Amino acid sequence: MSPPNGAAVRFTNITKSFPGYVAVQGINLDVQAGRFLSVVGPSGCGKSTLLNMAAGLMTPTEGTVEIFGEPLQGINRKAGYMFQQDALLPWKTVIDNILLGLVFQGVEPKLAEERARTWIHRVGLDGFADRYPHQLSGGMRKRVAMAQTWIVDPAIVFMDEPFGALDVHTRLRMESEILSLWAETNKTVMFVTHDLEEAIALSDEVVVLSAGPASRMVGRYEVGLERPRNLIDIKTNPRFVEIYGSIWRDLREEVLKSYERNEKA
Amino acid sequence: MSETKKRSRVPMAVWQVLLGATFLVTWQMGVSAGVMDKFFFSRPTDIAARVAQMFITGTIWVHLATTLLEAALSFLIGVGAGVIVGFVLARNAFLAALLDPYIRITNAMPRVVLAPIFLLWFGLGIWSKVALGVTVVFFIVFFNTFKGVREVDRVVVNNARMLGASERQLIRHVLIPSALTWIFSSLHISIGFAIIAVVVGEYLGASRGVGYMISQAEGVFDTTGVFAGMVILAGVVLLVGVGVDRMERYLLRWKPEHTDEVKGQVS
Repeated sequence: MSPPNGAAVRFTNITKSFPGYVAVQGINLDVQAGRFLSVVGPSGCGKSTLLNMAAGLMTPTEGTVEIFGEPLQGINRKAGYMFQQDALLPWKTVIDNILLGLVFQGVEPKLAEERARTWIHRVGLDGFADRYPHQLSGGMRKRVAMAQTWIVDPAIVFMDEPFGALDVHTRLRMESEILSLWAETNKTVMFVTHDLEEAIALSDEVVVLSAGPASRMVGRYEVGLERPRNLIDIKTNPRFVEIYGSIWRDLREEVLKSYERNEKA
Repeated sequence: MSETKKRSRVPMAVWQVLLGATFLVTWQMGVSAGVMDKFFFSRPTDIAARVAQMFITGTIWVHLATTLLEAALSFLIGVGAGVIVGFVLARNAFLAALLDPYIRITNAMPRVVLAPIFLLWFGLGIWSKVALGVTVVFFIVFFNTFKGVREVDRVVVNNARMLGASERQLIRHVLIPSALTWIFSSLHISIGFAIIAVVVGEYLGASRGVGYMISQAEGVFDTTGVFAGMVILAGVVLLVGVGVDRMERYLLRWKPEHTDEVKGQVS
């Protein structure tokens, strides 16, 4: 099933420009199937743009995106996407939000509901099936989004700072839950964040982008921390500290550059 | 918290009744004392008696039924056309751009000036009034639907697309519910306007309807009759508004509560 190169997502010479500015330039990147890869970089460096191109929500100005060896056209049907903002349908209850993907696939309503119930249980939302999103806390809404993305069993999951808006403790819990969900499957995850600690704690591999505009790739790093990981203690692990130090040396420069540009602007 | 709300609500209702009563009593006494001319202002008691008499003798029903039928038809046709055209233009940028100046021009025209031409085209029966009502309702609903579909949250749309929604599923699960909020806020206004439009139409030329009744009363300087017609119209608009409110509350039950406060102030 896996193509010779083993890349779930392959960016070749990707450039994306918007009227008046270039977001990312000359990106070459493989995301190996089954891996958890994070993209970090200063704000405004085009991390989300990269993700949106891989999802098929945007088309690159130059270059190609391949998904499991095939050029991507239109929406990426093999991928799920967890957005930074609230993306739940506010007019649908928790259960209707979760089974939405199944409805779109034409799964029989009864079966869809059954599967949605098991997901409600899995993400710890028993008793909340008939609530509307505005009646839930931020953390609970993220759980719904998680179930909504995962229920259709996509081979690839894109996440764009999904936990950015949460408080530290909720965030830590959600990160652990994402990791355990991911460990049960062989999904490929591409995770975007500006938080280097989060990126290292979760990933097999971290990619650093330079400050925008026209961001390039600055480096790739193997994290090499063993799994399963205990996210509460991982930050004091010597290997964590070491890799953090080496990535931060590169990232730091980019962050400083982005500060400078923002000040000039 | 709901308790404090309840406690403060009772006195407010009392104040409101008091204000209305003061107004009516002042009016009544002003006319009785001869400060206000009875010929021009009538009297609240006379008006109330006339309204009651109209219902008791049943003379009002044929007029009320006509006006309500006309308003209902213009409302249904106007809303239907407004929603459909709003959707089509919101989903088709070329058409929207092409028609934009013409929609603006048509909308800029005062509707009342159309009444004579509709009378010529559709005659004195109900259809000239319905046509006038439709031109009013259509634009309100059209603009709101257009806006509602256009301003749907991009992230929610993208999320649905990533989950595999086809164009039709996108319309059904995302665009329509999203536009519904906007459409509903337009229904409140358009119901009132539909009634106004058909009454104006009746006033200008008809053989029955509340507007016709008012114009007849005016023709014989029957101020009480004019006021009675106004009171009945106001009552009808209020009742219909309550109905729309109920429906809206049910269909938009997914919305956070704070919208209720705004609604309370409007209706």
